[in-house]
Amino acid sequence: MDVNLCVGCGACTEKCPGKFDDGYNADLKQRTAIYVEYPQAVPLKYAINPDVCLKLTKDKCGICEEVCPAKAIDYTQKEERITLNAGSIIFSPGFKPFDPSRFDNYQYANFPNVVTSMEFERILSATGPTMGHVTTFPKLPLNPKKKQDKLLAEKRKDPKKIAWFQCVGSRDINKCDNAYCSSVCCMYAIKEAMIAKEHAGGNLDCSIFFMDMRTPGKEFEKYYENAKKKHGIKFIRSRVHSVTENSETHDLNIRYVDEKGQIINDTFDMIVLSVGLEITQETKEFAQKLGIELTPSGFCKTSSFEPVTSSRDGIYVSGVFNKPKDIPESVLDASAAASAAGDALSAARNTLTKAVEKIPEINVVGDRPKIGVFICDCGSNIKGVVDCAGVTEYAKTLPYVEFADEAMYACSQDAQNKMVEYIKEKNLNRIVVAACTPKTHEPLFQETLTNAGLNKYLFEMTNIRNHNSWVHKSNPEIATQKAKDLVRMAVAKAALAEPLKEEKINVNDTVMVIGGGLAGMTSAKSLALQGYKTHLIEKKDKLGGEAHKLYKTSQGEDVQTHLNELIKEIESNANITVHCNTTLENVDGFVGNFKSTLKTDTTSFALEYGVAVLATGAKALVPTEYEYGNDDRIITSLDLDKMFKENDAKLDQLNSAVFIQCVGSRQPDRPYCSRVCCTHSVDNAIELKKRKPGIDVFILYRDIRTYGERELLYKKARELGVIFIRYDREQKPEVVLDKGKLLVKLNDHVLNQPVEIEADLLTLATALVPRKDEKLANFFKVPLNDEGFFVEKHAKLGPAEFATSGVFVCGSGHYPKPVNEAITQGRAAASRALTLLAKKDNLFTSGTIANVDSMKCSQCGVCVAICPYSAPRFATEGRFAGKAEINAVLCKGCGLCVASCRSGALHLRGFDTHQIFSQIFALGEAV
Amino acid sequence: MNDKDIKIVSFLCNWCSYGAADLAGVSRMEYPADIRVIRIPCSGRMSPKFVLSAFREGADAVWVSG
Repeated sequence: MDVNLCVGCGACTEKCPGKFDDGYNADLKQRTAIYVEYPQAVPLKYAINPDVCLKLTKDKCGICEEVCPAKAIDYTQKEERITLNAGSIIFSPGFKPFDPSRFDNYQYANFPNVVTSMEFERILSATGPTMGHVTTFPKLPLNPKKKQDKLLAEKRKDPKKIAWFQCVGSRDINKCDNAYCSSVCCMYAIKEAMIAKEHAGGNLDCSIFFMDMRTPGKEFEKYYENAKKKHGIKFIRSRVHSVTENSETHDLNIRYVDEKGQIINDTFDMIVLSVGLEITQETKEFAQKLGIELTPSGFCKTSSFEPVTSSRDGIYVSGVFNKPKDIPESVLDASAAASAAGDALSAARNTLTKAVEKIPEINVVGDRPKIGVFICDCGSNIKGVVDCAGVTEYAKTLPYVEFADEAMYACSQDAQNKMVEYIKEKNLNRIVVAACTPKTHEPLFQETLTNAGLNKYLFEMTNIRNHNSWVHKSNPEIATQKAKDLVRMAVAKAALAEPLKEEKINVNDTVMVIGGGLAGMTSAKSLALQGYKTHLIEKKDKLGGEAHKLYKTSQGEDVQTHLNELIKEIESNANITVHCNTTLENVDGFVGNFKSTLKTDTTSFALEYGVAVLATGAKALVPTEYEYGNDDRIITSLDLDKMFKENDAKLDQLNSAVFIQCVGSRQPDRPYCSRVCCTHSVDNAIELKKRKPGIDVFILYRDIRTYGERELLYKKARELGVIFIRYDREQKPEVVLDKGKLLVKLNDHVLNQPVEIEADLLTLATALVPRKDEKLANFFKVPLNDEGFFVEKHAKLGPAEFATSGVFVCGSGHYPKPVNEAITQGRAAASRALTLLAKKDNLFTSGTIANVDSMKCSQCGVCVAICPYSAPRFATEGRFAGKAEINAVLCKGCGLCVASCRSGALHLRGFDTHQIFSQIFALGEAV
Repeated sequence: MNDKDIKIVSFLCNWCSYGAADLAGVSRMEYPADIRVIRIPCSGRMSPKFVLSAFREGADAVWVSG
């Protein structure tokens, strides 16, 4: 397939006889030998699977070549070897979902209604094999000619009861070798259950069988609580032994032991196996070739302090290969890897760039519109349904249309060249293209306009393929009429198009980082290494933040050694200015042009900067329960770290130590999980056991959340004899100080009996509490959530930046996180900031933004109040002081202010009111 | 009302519904040809005036999606 010629029409797939399993749909259906990976693929180009193509395997068929209108099929293509010279490599090979076929107890390979979570994901998807309809027997490629398929199809039904089994292929060294926790399955199982209920209706009975519910991500705990309370999803703490099938109905019977020790039998219509994440053998071999070290579980070995750097210099890693993780963390990893790769290459920046030749723009202001209309056939994609010649003739009759032409492929290079010629020859000053979607092709045509000397906004595109010929195939006549209507509407709008200017954004390339903890320092270091002047603001008298209080990371690295090294690097970097004992007094300006006053004890000074990174962190809660403060044997996790650091002699005298988890976390007033405390306590319990093997150590917990490879610590702790006792929030442990004794009482979950532990030391695993700095949030106009954590731009895709341009976030102020994750996010924030800074001389606003007709503005302030990006404000000086004005840099062109302006003073360039009216009126002509 | 003459004016947000309509095309989902799409940059751009004007021009229904 020649990807330069393929137009993504899909004519080739219609008659292709070769078939193979559709991996995108988890093999639940088949696809043709010539295929597109998935419908949303960008670029939308088809490919041939050489293993099943009849032409390539048997030299028969060849039908795709016959039907391809673009002559894109090339059977002679061979594998090519390409050599690239690279300074850094980012290795991000991903994972494979665990294959549960080998588990004979769950019978995935034999029972049609036992499915994997990946398959269920596709069943729920609107683009999946059942178009989102939840149904039993989903795996069958139902072939009506096959008798067996036909019989089973009759049994297909909407399930009434579905069960999810957690930890299939994770936390399991009995039936597989994956000792680690896959980190994502608890959340996706809850999500799948919620969506299944949404699709199937409220009566669907959903049960999730789990060992520990692990929802330590941002907003995850609330999601879990919601699933339980509002959506009635059942959570059953049990590992189901096996599944049997009713051979007649294919219903699934299970037998399990509940928490009270009772054996329960139950029947489900479907069982979803929540499969874990695995690194493939292929990836492991490739890693070996690259010469990078792996952990015993097959993930990349990285240190907590350089969490995206592999053991080989110059090779960086991201995603699940760098430990199991979900979307936001993968995105953070990716940005962090980009920053690390960039740090190493900063000296070579811009050495390979080429300048673009600029073509002078023709002034068309005041000229009568002379519209050129180009109707695309898209091979037979449009022409096969729509009478394109008829539409072209029709276009010629429309007002202001000077010229109309039909093109076989309007996007092809020769059609583009012709378009430039026509523009010049006929003096066209507005262009309409009726073809596919502007979402993919508008930039291409706009470039053609630019090449012809026209402002790129003198362009209008209308979609007669995706919205017309492709979806009204059986009604060519109506489709042709619709195409005419769409062209008429586009012509009416184009006649009103004006050349628009893209304003240059001036970017001050100085950076301000607020917060001198691990995350803030990491951000500052990366930005400084890449050549940007960075000011690091710290409220306290020294850098390092809360990390000063930590003993070791979960990987056993000494925190203080690394922290002090980092502080030294920061203090000796000429690009970094450290401001300790300094607070921020105000913030003025916007992306690229911020200005603040900073205050120390003795003086205040002004700072101008282009971007800001907020890394204000979080601190440990001071507990108010469990007799904290009434006895010096009752301490917090950080106090215990301090004892370890100082090698406190008291540690040797301990005979019994107790940890209580979730102190201040996962409760109504603080409904989030603090993420770090389970691992911290487990790690400290191991440390106690190592120092004195005879000590009794108890961890009282609600769910142990040692996600990822931290699970290995949990395993190790159990092996060392640490005793884990679970408690419920409704029945918390009780701490009693009695005649010099420190007693902890609770109900044992296994024995279902009250137990009493005499402790020499009680460690409270306290919540991490954000600083909830509302003043700072207001300065930068960034939001805080109910608990006081910063709210990022997008929970999944924008985890290190704010919706406010030029402001970035990292560290525990965003959400509690351990050392390695704080450093990853610090790097990620730097990386996102760099995308702005690196374009310093090349940054422009969009042309399609709002502007104000000051004469009409009544100063009501609605636009100022309503804009989510703070683009409108009241002018403070000049002739129109007091009237609204738009900051072009901040405006995203959504038009919210324009729609809400009651004086008609606001206009949205490119989508102005009269332009949209013109489309409505043009439509009216046909109605 | 004659079924064949129905006209639905659809104001679709560029970032979601317009893309969804594109995807319906890529997936070749057939649907009645009664809608005429007007692409807007965000459903926040929508004004009641557009709805009223579409009805005045003879639309049978107006669909705002974003």
